[in-house]
Amino acid sequence: MVKAMVRSSGVLVPSGGAVDLSGIGSTLTVDAPRSLRRLTQFRAAARAIVLYGVTLFAVVTVIFAIPRAMPGDPIAAREDPTDSLYVSDPAVRERMLAYYGLDKPLVVQYREYLGRIVKGDLGWSISRNMPVRELIGKHLPWTLMLMGTALALSSAISFLAGIGAAWRRGGARDRALVVAMTGARAMPEYAIAAVLVIIFAVLWPILPLYGSKTPFAEYASPLALVVDVARHLVLPAAALTLGLMGNKFLLVRNTTIGVLGEDYMVLARAKGLSDRRLKFHHAGRNALLPFLTVLGIQVGFAVGGSVFVESVFAYPGMGTLILRAVEQRDYPVLEGCFLTLATTVLIVNLLIELVYARLDPRIGSTS
Amino acid sequence: MTATIAPTVEPAQDETPAAAIPRRRRRPGIGWLGIFFLAVFVGMALFAPRLAGYRVTELAGEPLESPGPGHLLGTNLVGQDVASQIVYGARMSLFMAIVAGGLTVFVGALVGMIAGWAGGRTDAVLMRVVDLFLVIPSLPLLIVLGAYAGPSMTAIAVIVAATAWPPSARVIRSQVLSLRRRAHLQASVGFGARNTHVLRRHVMPEIGLIAAASFVGAAGRAVMMEAGLAFLGLGDPTRASWGRLMRDALDFDALFNTSAWQWWLLPPAVCITFFLLGLTFLGVALEQRINPRLARHATAHRRPR
Repeated sequence: MVKAMVRSSGVLVPSGGAVDLSGIGSTLTVDAPRSLRRLTQFRAAARAIVLYGVTLFAVVTVIFAIPRAMPGDPIAAREDPTDSLYVSDPAVRERMLAYYGLDKPLVVQYREYLGRIVKGDLGWSISRNMPVRELIGKHLPWTLMLMGTALALSSAISFLAGIGAAWRRGGARDRALVVAMTGARAMPEYAIAAVLVIIFAVLWPILPLYGSKTPFAEYASPLALVVDVARHLVLPAAALTLGLMGNKFLLVRNTTIGVLGEDYMVLARAKGLSDRRLKFHHAGRNALLPFLTVLGIQVGFAVGGSVFVESVFAYPGMGTLILRAVEQRDYPVLEGCFLTLATTVLIVNLLIELVYARLDPRIGSTS
Repeated sequence: MTATIAPTVEPAQDETPAAAIPRRRRRPGIGWLGIFFLAVFVGMALFAPRLAGYRVTELAGEPLESPGPGHLLGTNLVGQDVASQIVYGARMSLFMAIVAGGLTVFVGALVGMIAGWAGGRTDAVLMRVVDLFLVIPSLPLLIVLGAYAGPSMTAIAVIVAATAWPPSARVIRSQVLSLRRRAHLQASVGFGARNTHVLRRHVMPEIGLIAAASFVGAAGRAVMMEAGLAFLGLGDPTRASWGRLMRDALDFDALFNTSAWQWWLLPPAVCITFFLLGLTFLGVALEQRINPRLARHATAHRRPR
């Protein structure tokens, strides 16, 4: 008997069984009227929006709490002329004290902090002496491009390879892929990136070593600029893609293997459908929803991986910004980066959840 | 909302019955390979003072000496012995694997057992917290925490565990949920056993294998995160770490103009990869023990066409 499941924030809960109408053990599922389906989808969407809103609020609160709860004083070193982190410019010190506002009661601090965040004010960078928001605005697009490329590429490759491997499971290619993907999953992104640099930029120098553009280059045409940027993107994107591929590949492969023996697959084959149709319309489709769930989880990993990869290639995104901020212990920048990256991940996850609600035939269907 | 969840019965999905699959000769599994890799690094960590010719910070030779009899992996920019740093770096990774990995599973198991056993509202609240943690990107959070917590080894282990426990909590909760319905547990409750007794006597032994698999995974993530934080400059500066070794190498501008990358950048990258491969292989083997269906899929023969 098939049980209808409703996905509520990542947990599968049963929502009543299908009714056995024929009395011989088969189940008959009837689609709910369109309007009802719409309504349930709308409710799922509203729920997701509230959930992610609450999560964002929690992130903001955590950022507020960390400097106040951790041992040590973030300001002491800045006011000590013998310390390497000493800030000599009194105006910058002034802004820094205002950022923390530690002389006021905690509730007032929290209220002021929330007010600033709502206005989009992320504080003042101590080391660069400029608003954190401007710094992030300059760096975020590069990270988004890198992450977007890697997520799209790794999804496409792992989906196709996963179905292919499941189709001929146990074969030489399947086994090689499983071993390679398990290995890729084990390697941290910075190690992958280092190995790629060594192979494709040092031993066989066909791609640039670092950066996002050739320094001081003057471009003859906009196309030349695009080509240059794309050439610089290849290695970082490849490193991140390799890091993100393994999980998705293994998931698609195992899900697909699970359905290959199902009766409807035998029927579809008996009908004489082409292999292509069998693979993608009948078998692969089942992997789509779990795939989306994993993709959502991976967006968070992609953020971390991107930070690592960028700091190998000195790619001018958030990772490089974070790397420099760590050196200078520039806390407002680190906190701003965390907030921005967390918001990005939450937005992408929300979108994925909405797509999920639309794709999943079980949401809003009654039996 | 009731917290009972129907046990999912997996339908038999292999078209060939298990008996029909010709039995292969048993090969030493992938798990043993993993244990071998790990044993090498454990040995390295245990005998670090004997294996390493120099102390980590000692200026042992000229800057950037090539590998030779005195320095097996050459020296870095200030003349420290790279091989010694690698050997001592194994200690850092092993410490993270055991302490941070163990702490992660401890917290995860505690939360998972409470959520799964208590059910109801407790379960719902705890699982919302887990969901919340799972969508927040952990590396940027770790960076902020690490920047404030300071660079001590223990502090790093604690913050890694603090951000990494939710997946193991979820796995262990679902195991506890399936245990709840077993007759001997029901009987134990019926005889008036306290919650702590049931959890300690009946639940804990049953989640051992799952917790072990969970530990292997958590240990891998912890090793990766410590090396990553050290790579970003947030590690303990007084101790050798493979991540910091890679960072130092990459910070040297002319790294790729010389051949120094061969003995300075590559060895730590290879070490961390093989350490993590060891843990992954061990994890795969454990998962196959827990869920034999996975193993059958992995080695199933080609479908007859």
